[in-house]
Amino acid sequence: MKNIFIIAISVLLLSACGKKLNINPQQSVDENIVFTSDANIKSALRGAYDVVSGASLVGGDLQMYSELLGANGEITWAGTYQQPREIFRKTMLTTNSFLRDTYTDAYKAINICNNIIESIDIVNEGDRDHVKGQALFLRGLMYFELVKLFALPYSAGNTSSNPGLQLITVPTKNGEVSDANKKPRSSVEETYQQIINDLTTAKSLMEDQIGVYAGKYTAAAVLSRVYLQMADYQKAAQEANDVIENSGASLESDCRKAFNNSSPSSEDIYVMPVTPQDGSNDMWLFWSIGDYGARDGDVEVDQKQIDLFASGDQRLGWFYIDESDIYRSAKWQFQYRYLPVIRLAEMYLTRAECNARLGTSIGATADEDLNDVIRARAGLGAVSATVDNIIYERRLELVDEGQKIHDIRRLKQSVDGFQYNDNKLVCPIPQREVDAGNGILTQNPGYNP
Amino acid sequence: MRLLKTHILTGLLFLCLSSFGQMTVSGRITDEKTGEPVAKASVLIKGTSSGTSSDEQGNYKIEVPQKNATLIFSSVGFESKEIPVSGPVLDVQLGQAATRGLQEVLVVGFGTQIKRDLTGNIAKVKGRDIENMPVTNFDQALQGRAAGVFVQAGNGKLGEPVQVLIRGAGSISASTQPLYVIDGVPISTETYSGSAIADINFNDIESFDILKDASAAAIYGSRAANGVVLITTKKGRAGKTTFNVNSQYGTNKPTHKVGFLNAREYVDLLREAAINSDHIDGIDPLDPSQYEDSWLEFAEGRLTRYSGWSDWKTYQTNTNWQDKAFYPHARTGQIDVSASGGNEKTKFYVSLGYMNQDGILIGNNLKRISSRLNLEHSVSDKFKLGINMSLSQTTSGRVTADNEFNTPLQSVALSPVTPFTDQNGVIYTNPTTTYANPYVDYAEGKYEALIYRNIGNIFGQYNFSKSLFFRSEFGVDIHNENDDMFYGARTSYGRGTNGYGESDWFRSLTYNTNNYFTFNKSFQGRHDLNAVLGMSYQEYNSEYANVYGEQFPVDDLQKLASAGLIKGGTSVATNSAFLSYFARANYKLDDKYLFSVSGRIDGSSVFGNDRRYGFFPAVSAGWVISQEKFLENSKVISFLKLRASWGLTGNAEGFGNFASRGLWGGTAYDGTGALTPTQMANPDLRWEKSNQTDIGIDFGLLNNRITGEVDYYNRNTDDLIYNVPVPGNTGFTNKIVNIGAMNNRGVEIVLNSENIISRNFRWSSSVNLAFNKNKIVRLDGDQTLIPGNDGRYMNSLIVGQSIGIFYGPKFAGADPANGDALYYLADGKTTTNDYDAAGSFIVGNPNPKLTGGFSNTFSAYGFDLGILFQGVFGNQITNGAGGFMSASFSWFDNQTSDQLNRWQKPGDKTMVPQLRLGYDNGTSSSSRYVYDGDYVRLKNITLGYNFPKSLIGKWRLKSLRLYVTGVNVLTFTDYPGWDPEVNADYRATNKNQGGDFYSAPQIKNYSVGLNIGF
Repeated sequence: MKNIFIIAISVLLLSACGKKLNINPQQSVDENIVFTSDANIKSALRGAYDVVSGASLVGGDLQMYSELLGANGEITWAGTYQQPREIFRKTMLTTNSFLRDTYTDAYKAINICNNIIESIDIVNEGDRDHVKGQALFLRGLMYFELVKLFALPYSAGNTSSNPGLQLITVPTKNGEVSDANKKPRSSVEETYQQIINDLTTAKSLMEDQIGVYAGKYTAAAVLSRVYLQMADYQKAAQEANDVIENSGASLESDCRKAFNNSSPSSEDIYVMPVTPQDGSNDMWLFWSIGDYGARDGDVEVDQKQIDLFASGDQRLGWFYIDESDIYRSAKWQFQYRYLPVIRLAEMYLTRAECNARLGTSIGATADEDLNDVIRARAGLGAVSATVDNIIYERRLELVDEGQKIHDIRRLKQSVDGFQYNDNKLVCPIPQREVDAGNGILTQNPGYNP
Repeated sequence: MRLLKTHILTGLLFLCLSSFGQMTVSGRITDEKTGEPVAKASVLIKGTSSGTSSDEQGNYKIEVPQKNATLIFSSVGFESKEIPVSGPVLDVQLGQAATRGLQEVLVVGFGTQIKRDLTGNIAKVKGRDIENMPVTNFDQALQGRAAGVFVQAGNGKLGEPVQVLIRGAGSISASTQPLYVIDGVPISTETYSGSAIADINFNDIESFDILKDASAAAIYGSRAANGVVLITTKKGRAGKTTFNVNSQYGTNKPTHKVGFLNAREYVDLLREAAINSDHIDGIDPLDPSQYEDSWLEFAEGRLTRYSGWSDWKTYQTNTNWQDKAFYPHARTGQIDVSASGGNEKTKFYVSLGYMNQDGILIGNNLKRISSRLNLEHSVSDKFKLGINMSLSQTTSGRVTADNEFNTPLQSVALSPVTPFTDQNGVIYTNPTTTYANPYVDYAEGKYEALIYRNIGNIFGQYNFSKSLFFRSEFGVDIHNENDDMFYGARTSYGRGTNGYGESDWFRSLTYNTNNYFTFNKSFQGRHDLNAVLGMSYQEYNSEYANVYGEQFPVDDLQKLASAGLIKGGTSVATNSAFLSYFARANYKLDDKYLFSVSGRIDGSSVFGNDRRYGFFPAVSAGWVISQEKFLENSKVISFLKLRASWGLTGNAEGFGNFASRGLWGGTAYDGTGALTPTQMANPDLRWEKSNQTDIGIDFGLLNNRITGEVDYYNRNTDDLIYNVPVPGNTGFTNKIVNIGAMNNRGVEIVLNSENIISRNFRWSSSVNLAFNKNKIVRLDGDQTLIPGNDGRYMNSLIVGQSIGIFYGPKFAGADPANGDALYYLADGKTTTNDYDAAGSFIVGNPNPKLTGGFSNTFSAYGFDLGILFQGVFGNQITNGAGGFMSASFSWFDNQTSDQLNRWQKPGDKTMVPQLRLGYDNGTSSSSRYVYDGDYVRLKNITLGYNFPKSLIGKWRLKSLRLYVTGVNVLTFTDYPGWDPEVNADYRATNKNQGGDFYSAPQIKNYSVGLNIGF
């Protein structure tokens, strides 16, 4: 009798529930499930936008690096963080964690795009081109932003021998680091060709759309920047003209209305959504001050920058003075405001510069764009539409917006005592990438390999 | 719930079974020397957990299931005796113990064993050794008390997690913390904030049994790779109900403060730094025509800003910002009331405790109300059931992590020229202060955590026969936490948004069932067999939700109902489950040859389908040499045992519940849901496995006046789980993989000595020492180095070296010619001022080579004195904040006093490079900020007086003790920072050890207390 009970108990005991070990996560889904439906792929596309809009990328740091590298006595990094200070002083260490995050986050976005492009056939046919186009756009944009920072500029020549980027066009799956990830850096030339391919294909596939999502004219606007870097003024002018004539964007009547908005302004070609719920804005975080919820005003605007503007220039409204009598950029004054990445004003200036250089009048004359459009809005009288004047105007209009170093380099100027092609203006490949790269990924010249 | 059904059914089965014959045994227990009765001696039926205890006259009475039972008699200070029952009357004489615990009963997993028969290694710490220690966590109280158990609090904040390493760190990124089991319930150590250990009142704890080697721990299989701490709470004993009241009161102070520049030094050095920078830029700022736009102008502008209403030029203000971080009136108080008693059928222990401690940091405090009920009832001599249940409420004022600008000690960065308040008495913050003033966040903000914790189990035990019983336990650990934060409009978190409020809610539920048979039998007087067979199942579930908002109309309205803007919120949940089967057999031949074998099969939900189950076996053997003829009559060697064990344990904790999968998680873009990849897949992910061999000797000399243990162990962990860096161009930065292997080897020595035993004076000493050498044997493939220099710290992984070793540039001091910071090139001889060109060297090791404790207890004429020293040797510490606070004035942070030794003129030989504002002259991580971390600490000293029975008897008291106690009373160290027991909380991992970052020093406490028994 007793033994039967023991056996009964034992059997009950040991027949416990192995199935209870099958537990699924509640905040994540398995990667195999993501690329199985139209809706999921579109969610992944928004995910790519989200990564691109992150603080380490277009959500502020890319713009800030450009301004710090191109400071030229107009702004000062006065904050405690060493990483931006290294960038400001052109003494970047290979361990700079800001640069590391920018680099890896860009590839994170690229990987999402590669996944989308590979599974594009699952997207509903009607939306397929537009989805693919956006993925190509974001990939091209990321490669463009990376190559501008982590390689010698296109203007430095030797484009087919200077190292560009590792160009990855296949998705990472099943946790595999594949051969595609172990390729050496392509040349600057090859990198630019990849960018142009991505963006022109994107432009041909996408619908007509500007703002927080990319469309045909967003791609055109980025292409105009790409061609400008390559000094291909003809194409740069054409792309800028395409945006001006067809995107539907129009300049705000008051230049101050182009910033600190809670929705896209009428002149935003590409803008990062920032709300209390979502989005990030490192330009505000580092450029604004504690009174507006930011840090301690890490980036200070110096008198030299203010002095660039003629008195009466409406754009002086893009500055304010804080309690300690320090100038601050009002473009980035308030928290939870949309962050303009490409404005229509830039397209006018690009078209003007190219037309002036080429002696053409694609879309309009340089004089019209410079004086009737840009300077008129700033409340200023006309000046002669020379290339120099247009470039000076560009510096004023795009002040503190993240184009500084890229303009300096394409124009072969010098900054803070460094020539445009100085190795110290090129960001180092993050040490962790060199270490994880199994000797295939080479460091930039001027840094210890 | 199939298991619950099993449980109920099992219970029903018991009720159907009939009982067997029994008899009553009674007698008197006396001291063999004095003939005095021994009160409260324990009487235990061998092989069971049922027993009773003697009354004041030494009388006992116990129901024994059958004839041929054996009773174990034991009492504190006496040698225990085992006597077979021969009739209804059994008088016993106990001899005074000199044995120090050879007969001590140790709790092993799913059973007990006496120390003499143990073949594994278990360190026992008695609850009474640590009771009334004025710390919040029992793990802190264990520091220095057990060999090979390294305890380190990362800082002096109250109720924060404490690192406990048993025999070194066995993993790179999975958990290295032991499993804690309270009365059979494996408890959860997960919380939203603070430490889950702080909820437990350790004055309710009878003993800690720390399973260190694999054979002792393997019965816990995959949970046991880091050792197991079995905690047994106090149980009632049959007899008159006794009450105990303990009350104590004390003060808390920091162990040490660091010297920073005063206002005069700050101004002088800052100006010097600015002038130096100007000279580098080719400017002479003292020439009025060059002053404009100079560094000096910039610095003096800042001085004017920082000095507020006062004048920096006359050093009008000299604020000691460090003192502002500490709460000057920190008090501690504690009161515990307990009652225990019962009869032979029913025994109980109930307690109620209240503790209230102020931390040394502003805003840091902890209050705990705890209660416990332990109840056991024998339904018949066959069937016993009971409950162990604790309920506690912990309220804690928390301070933010060490790297937050508003953590109190970051106030040291502020300038001494800044007055504390403006002329209206309003506390200054930035822009007047260099950074946001942490004091404002304390004065105008709060962070309060409220935790309800319920740990308990119910159990039933059925004795089929004298030799076989079945026990079933069902336990829960419920943790319910609510963190409430509010930061006003002037605080660093609430500025610009008119305040910030957040409410976090966290709940975790662990439930667990153990069901096992135990078989105990002696054959032919020479074979003893003990066997256990059973299963256990555990499920863990946690849920977390929060909501946070901004725009509060006034600082007085602090709940989110008043937030003008609800900024966000979230809820997340996670689950995991363990299913295990286990078995163990202990066999003893002729009372001198000991064998043990155990095995456990574990299944974990953490791994993929194909990698889910693991088998964890262990074997061990012991030989009691002193039982052999040739030693039997030795006058010197009274006890000698040789033992050896081998076992395999596993680790599946600490790297997330779904680490094997490729995952995408939800996010948002422009207010619409989105998906992004969050984790790289690894379907091959499997258990970390730890192989441990232990060889040990237990000995007793001179009639066991001196006892000790010496152990050598060698622990190899394979298939280490690590988040390996992968090329960023994959879209990921890391992948969780099994790589490489790690080894921990060491020697542990325990020596106990009864130095003097006389009628009126007793002195005993105990030393424990543990030498451990941790070594990474293999990393990923042929990889030999995962460097970790991130600019502040250098914790790296290097094959052949200890985990987290500091690997980075070696600082060569200031260039005597120009004051540049110099580093050694890779050749180790030539120097460079280019940090990037510097070679990398091993410049420190955060793992101690030796840890130990030395305790002495004296008692004489009613007085008792306990002194515990604890020490850590052979480790280094990196000050990660060195680049800010000892940084040759690279920025405006106030500097440590050692910067006064800066390079000033050519020819100066110093380790402090020239001061240069705005230039990073040697501020990146290097050996410049690495210091020796050895220390010896007078950890605890307690002096007590027990009032004589003759006196207190008149007051109808049983005992009355008055005591004073001190914790961390003295610290001997060369570490120049706040405290050598440190590891910055925000970054602490297995690898990231030995880092200091504005981490608060440990707490020095003095308390007085009164203990009354009646």
